[in-house]
Amino acid sequence: MAALMDRTATVIGGPPPGLRHDMAELWRHRGLFAMLVWRILAVRYKQTLIGSAWAVLQPFILMLVFTVFFGWLVRIPSDGMPYPLFFFTGLWMWTFVSQAFLAGAGAVVANGHIVSKVYFPRALLPAATVAASVVDFLVGLPALVALMAWYGVVPGWGLAAFPLALAVAGIMGLGLALWFSALWVFYRDTAYLLPFLAQLWMFASPVIYPASLVEPEWRAVFALNPMVGIIDATRWAFAGGPAPDPGLLAISAVAALLVLVTGYVFFRRREPLFTDHA
Amino acid sequence: MAAVTLHGIGKRYRLDDQRHRSSLAEQLQKRLARLAGRPAPPPEVAADSEFWALRGVDLEVREGEVLGILGRNGSGKSTLLKILARITPPTEGTAVLRGRVAALLEVGTGFHPDLTGRENVYLNGAILGLSRREIAGRMEEIADFAEIGRFLDMPVKHYSSGMFLRLAFVVLAHMDAEILLIDEITAVGDKGFERKSLAKLREMVGSGRTVLYISHDMHAVRSLCDRCVVLDGGRLRDQGDVDRCIRVYEMLCARGPLAPDRRAAG
Repeated sequence: MAALMDRTATVIGGPPPGLRHDMAELWRHRGLFAMLVWRILAVRYKQTLIGSAWAVLQPFILMLVFTVFFGWLVRIPSDGMPYPLFFFTGLWMWTFVSQAFLAGAGAVVANGHIVSKVYFPRALLPAATVAASVVDFLVGLPALVALMAWYGVVPGWGLAAFPLALAVAGIMGLGLALWFSALWVFYRDTAYLLPFLAQLWMFASPVIYPASLVEPEWRAVFALNPMVGIIDATRWAFAGGPAPDPGLLAISAVAALLVLVTGYVFFRRREPLFTDHA
Repeated sequence: MAAVTLHGIGKRYRLDDQRHRSSLAEQLQKRLARLAGRPAPPPEVAADSEFWALRGVDLEVREGEVLGILGRNGSGKSTLLKILARITPPTEGTAVLRGRVAALLEVGTGFHPDLTGRENVYLNGAILGLSRREIAGRMEEIADFAEIGRFLDMPVKHYSSGMFLRLAFVVLAHMDAEILLIDEITAVGDKGFERKSLAKLREMVGSGRTVLYISHDMHAVRSLCDRCVVLDGGRLRDQGDVDRCIRVYEMLCARGPLAPDRRAAG
């Protein structure tokens, strides 16, 4: 009897638990989280020849194409950065965020067979895909270092901003993954909407043009797109770009946080209904 | 004190489910209509478009008790376990489970064909709630019991269906929890392994754990359960003595399957 009293009780059908309970629950499932990340990477390496190297090859080849067309032919201003570095830093970050949210958005639906049989905090599914994207992303680092060496770019103080840019990018990717993975369960239209949205978003981000192309009075609005701060900081760190305005970086960081918080709230509200609709 | 307490548990499903199943276009139309001030269409919860898979289930399971859950297909057995496993929320009522819960509703949940047997055991174990260390400590025993041998390090897509089911079952059989929710997981493999798995199940069930056990195998129910409940049309029809409940269940089965429209009785 006493032993029973000591154990934590699971209450079903009560009011929804608070954030503190949620966080404890997520922490308790950290082992499963690690396994889910591992599964994504392991399966990919078994099914493909070069695994995460795709995550470098894709932006690298696009960088070559962009350098020829937008660099040498169109002569897009690059704020003094060498074109290959300018495009690669932008594409590298863009590939990370877009892959994180595109793969994360499908995470709940793709794992419907598990969701319908076992309980665990479902947010682990999009979170695991985003974490796997971080691994892919870091695989691109050697390519970047090689490019920097080739162009004789010495990393400066901007390097300190890079971990922050990566964190904001991860927050952004996770926030969008939470939003869209929950939406996808209820609206299969999401599958068709997302690639299109991603394409539009890329043009709204300073991937193939510098943020300085935007008129100064519009930059604060422009920075509401977190990709602006993320890419600017990355170019500052690795491509010898100018130091970005800290105010704009702050706007981007706050916008990304907002996406994560609202995404989590939305996800949690929809989560109980997943199995009845997945 | 009871290990599992259910209080007025009910689960309603909507058959048409306009609210969540509709396409984005329909949703937008509805929202626009509301914005334009036009009256919203009446809530479409006509009585015949919803049904209660479970209604008014009150139940107590004592610590260490093995409870058999009997009922025809569609009687609400699986819904009940899914609610207790926190896979789907109840529409009404509450339940309290005291102790670590393991839901064994399916063999091989999360198994991936491209991963090896060993990798899948880790993955499946983690999904069911075992830590890496717990799984590592049991790996040898698991491989032995499943009679997998050198295939343990081969992708499971090369397994025979028997090997696959044996390995998947054995992970379940090594779950360590105070409360087990089991949904018909014995009928795997050939006769020999079936006997072995039933023995393993008896060992799990007999070691002081609280068990809620769904099965259509009355032989297994008789040999494992201390007490039974019979569900019919989503309601508790009878509970208590195992042999009596089996008779009630067999009588219900003799009437034939539940008519689809009678399932909503409630």
